[in-house]
Amino acid sequence: MKRLYLLSAMLLLGFVSVFAQTGGELRFCLRSEPKTFNPLLVEDESSEAIRYLTGGVLVRVNRLTLKAEPALATSWKVSEGGKRIRFKLREGLKYSDGTPFSAADVAYTMEQLMDPALHSSTGDAFRSAEGKLAAQVISANEIEINFPAPVANLVNLFDTVAILSAKSPQKEMAALGPFFVSERKAGSYLLLKRNSYYWKKDAAGKQLPYLDSIRLDIEQNPEVEALRYKRGEVHLINTVSPAIFEKLSADNASVRDAGASTDTEQLWFNQVPGSPLPAYKKAWFTSTNFRRAVSEAINRGDMARIVFRGHAIPATGIISPSNKFWFNSDLKPHPYDTSSALRRLQQDGFQLQGDTLRDKAGNAVEFSIATNAGNRTRESMATMIQQDLKRIGIKVNVVTLDFNSLLERMTQSYNYEACILGFQNVELDPNSQMAVWLSSADNHQWNPSQKSPATPWEAEIDKLMRAQAASGDERKRKQYWDRVQQIAWEQEPFIYLVNKDALVAIAPAVKNAAPSVFRPQTFWNVETLALAQ
Amino acid sequence: MLRFWSGAVLRLVAVMLMASFAGAMLMRIAPGFSSDDQELNSGLSAQSMQAIRRAHLSDSNVPRFYAQYLASLVRGDLGTSRSLNQPVKELLRERLPITLVNLTFALAAGWLLALSLAVAAQMWKFPALNFIANGLSGTLISTPAAALALVFLMLRWPPAFAAALLVFPKIYRYTQNLLQQSGEMPHVLTARAKGAGPWRVLAWHVAPIALPQMIALVGVSISIGIGVLLPIEVVSDVAGIGQLAWHAAQARDLPLLVNLTMVVTFVTVCATLISDAAQRGFTRSAA
Amino acid sequence: MKAVRLAAIAVLVLTALAILGAHYLAPAGYEQQFRETTQAAPSIHHLLGTDDLGRDRWARLLYGMRVSLTLAPLAALFTTVLSGLIGGIAGYFGGWTERCCKLLIDLFLSVPWLFLLITVRAVLPLNVSPEASVTVTFALLGLLGWAASARVICAGAKDLMKSEFVWMARASGFSGFKLVRLHLLPNLRGALLAQFWISIPVFIIAEANLGALGLGVAEPLPSMGSLLRELQDAVMVRPEPWRLLPLAVLIVVISSFQVLLNKQEVRT
Repeated sequence: MKRLYLLSAMLLLGFVSVFAQTGGELRFCLRSEPKTFNPLLVEDESSEAIRYLTGGVLVRVNRLTLKAEPALATSWKVSEGGKRIRFKLREGLKYSDGTPFSAADVAYTMEQLMDPALHSSTGDAFRSAEGKLAAQVISANEIEINFPAPVANLVNLFDTVAILSAKSPQKEMAALGPFFVSERKAGSYLLLKRNSYYWKKDAAGKQLPYLDSIRLDIEQNPEVEALRYKRGEVHLINTVSPAIFEKLSADNASVRDAGASTDTEQLWFNQVPGSPLPAYKKAWFTSTNFRRAVSEAINRGDMARIVFRGHAIPATGIISPSNKFWFNSDLKPHPYDTSSALRRLQQDGFQLQGDTLRDKAGNAVEFSIATNAGNRTRESMATMIQQDLKRIGIKVNVVTLDFNSLLERMTQSYNYEACILGFQNVELDPNSQMAVWLSSADNHQWNPSQKSPATPWEAEIDKLMRAQAASGDERKRKQYWDRVQQIAWEQEPFIYLVNKDALVAIAPAVKNAAPSVFRPQTFWNVETLALAQ
Repeated sequence: MLRFWSGAVLRLVAVMLMASFAGAMLMRIAPGFSSDDQELNSGLSAQSMQAIRRAHLSDSNVPRFYAQYLASLVRGDLGTSRSLNQPVKELLRERLPITLVNLTFALAAGWLLALSLAVAAQMWKFPALNFIANGLSGTLISTPAAALALVFLMLRWPPAFAAALLVFPKIYRYTQNLLQQSGEMPHVLTARAKGAGPWRVLAWHVAPIALPQMIALVGVSISIGIGVLLPIEVVSDVAGIGQLAWHAAQARDLPLLVNLTMVVTFVTVCATLISDAAQRGFTRSAA
Repeated sequence: MKAVRLAAIAVLVLTALAILGAHYLAPAGYEQQFRETTQAAPSIHHLLGTDDLGRDRWARLLYGMRVSLTLAPLAALFTTVLSGLIGGIAGYFGGWTERCCKLLIDLFLSVPWLFLLITVRAVLPLNVSPEASVTVTFALLGLLGWAASARVICAGAKDLMKSEFVWMARASGFSGFKLVRLHLLPNLRGALLAQFWISIPVFIIAEANLGALGLGVAEPLPSMGSLLRELQDAVMVRPEPWRLLPLAVLIVVISSFQVLLNKQEVRT
């Protein structure tokens, strides 16, 4: 057994060193032009990809094991329940332009990041309380960072902090990651070249990354991207739509379903008291029975099977089952059951008269579901819900709006009835959802920025959320989160619809690929990716 | 002549100012002006969210924004794109040439095809030729630009070809109708009855009647070309003005939109001015 | 040529019958989802197969034609009248009127009207019926589409005003309305008709593109535009050629109208 293990290890090493010599250019597409090259200001997906490929971080979260691994830091120690962290750094490292790296750069980066005037979501994630951060350089390769209050999930947050150089004349373009930006043509492409100063070596001692360069074409149209993939012009597609996935696999192109992702798609009703909706509609939408009846009348199985061609699972709640640690496994997706839905509605005085459901006052139940125009998947989901709810006498109008108009209705005028959108959950730790679940938060979509919690269950969630954020004990936090998931499942302020699978395409020529359901799905291990010749 | 040109420049400037101001006003009034997709980013703190909203509202007083814009325009500064974090001047310098080259090609090819088919149909009244030309233009006119652009992408043909094919039927329709009508004028019929050859009839009798409208059509075809090319750029991911304009509209990027409106207006109005001038010159020489 | 004309008449009669009798010809409602047979190939149950949600494509085509082939010609007529009116007035009066009209035309061609459309969507109530929404969309298209051809009409009218026979007509006492009716309109007919025919497919397709802004038809109502929009899933087109049928129908119907009209034009 031991010998077999050794043999396979040698084989693997042998492979790796073969690929190590191949170099070559990896090509894939970005959906839009990166809005910024400053890693501290990254908000959009394209900039995030550039940050991932070029930025040097203290720790890197392995996208398969979900454990933090040493990167620029060789070791770290968290103390005072998450208020303080001390990093030991690698010695003798250099940026892509040759500028040496030291603990002063980390201090500089953290100070820049936490500057309140910067308004960076990367920085905001560390901001658990008012007050200033103190980054203390202990020696050239040791630094201690003190936060004003404990920060949940502290170590993993450093996965998103690319360390800037305090001294490099190239400023943020000096990279500590495996690649650096060498060329760009606006709206067309970006060329990343191998960073010859990159610190990491493979098991055989060979300098990483294996690739010489990466060419990122700006390609907005996923159909075109799929065509180019089929022709062999690009090697990877990070997110493939179910329709394209089916087509590509029918054409024998290499595609993989990495399993259910952490992203959610949900429907919610507008419960804002000050919204311009008529009072009787507000009464429907704030009724738990009404929301649960709608939820039970939606056939999630059909939705997953038809809209997502089987590449999705009916959703249970806030956290996707693929997030194994945090998911509350006692909960199951709401079953499709129209008679139970009608019973719930009857409890609230709704009556089915002929084909029309009417409330106590005799108002026919009709509402609109808004979603962002141009997203065919969501339009299809809304159209399926339209037909499902017709069965219990509810008339649904599907409205597609351009994204900014929809946002204005959702966040400013509150002039909408129901909405379907999806959330991308980049972080595994649910603490990143504080801004959604706190009743005072702006992103508490169904009724944002409440002065005091509007309902007892929102008050309970508030309490649990604060408790989990303040606790350093993972087991306790998990208990709090289980309860939050339970309440959300019972009250359904968000009616979760499906968890879609992470569908990716990786050309057979790309070696060492190990797609993950977490971003960046296909190239998270970019330094070890290689191209077969 | 001087009066014509000074009037023309005045008209150009007036339309540019009015169009870009109207565009800015429309964008301001349209919903979503002060929204930002960052508002759904749950990672942002309340303070950061406030800051983003404030930044959006800084341009909300359009007359003031416009006055400031004009003042910096005089200094040669076109402002900075809010959504792309880049000077607008740089964005235009990168993308304008691409669109202009494609536009020129699309128009030249579209006109060549339309004129040759229309003239051929007029000269030799073969039913088959007429049928094919009408069929082709009918098919192309009913084809969605996006679908044609995608087909071209699949075939790896340049998107400017698709634009040319979509410009063609519109020019062809007008030209063919014009030639046909002019061909039925009494004096043309008389000339034909007197035994003048088809080329002679075309050159001496039909063309002079049709020409003024055709020249006007040159100007119009430029606006048609822009109208066709811009959506094709979006579909085919050509890094030109169309893609930029679509982005500006979606992101409600006021500085970018105002400048793009200026550019599009400039091209459109210049085209009509040129056709006006040509027509004027023509009528004068005819008189 | 006679055979072509007969074929065109046949196509149009069939289209009219299909539009009027959609209710009887369709095997199911355009919105009914057969969820067990999504994306089916043509069969006896579904003549043109089913779409992504399992809706009968034949039924959707019939109802889509009803929506688009009724509203698009109306909008095209409206825009042609507008362009004739504005271009005609500019050409007829000349001078300052002409200059003002031309300024208006330039302005109309340059302003990004997209935002007007977005604003209109915002003003419409969210629970507006799909029929009302699509009517408003076509009305807007008709209202905004006149500028390009008005310039051609203006040039034509101006030219005619200088022509000998108009001088003669004027000399013999014709003026105003009579002059316009007897001399200007008949001679501008070609340009106006071209505008009309060009506008119909342009509007049908524009309605499809406006779907990206949430204007146009709303689910589940189909229009030719929304059916054509499915073509954008280009990767799907090759294995399912029947998806191209809406495009083919549109081309055949529009071409048939043109065949008939060209003939009439020659006759009068």
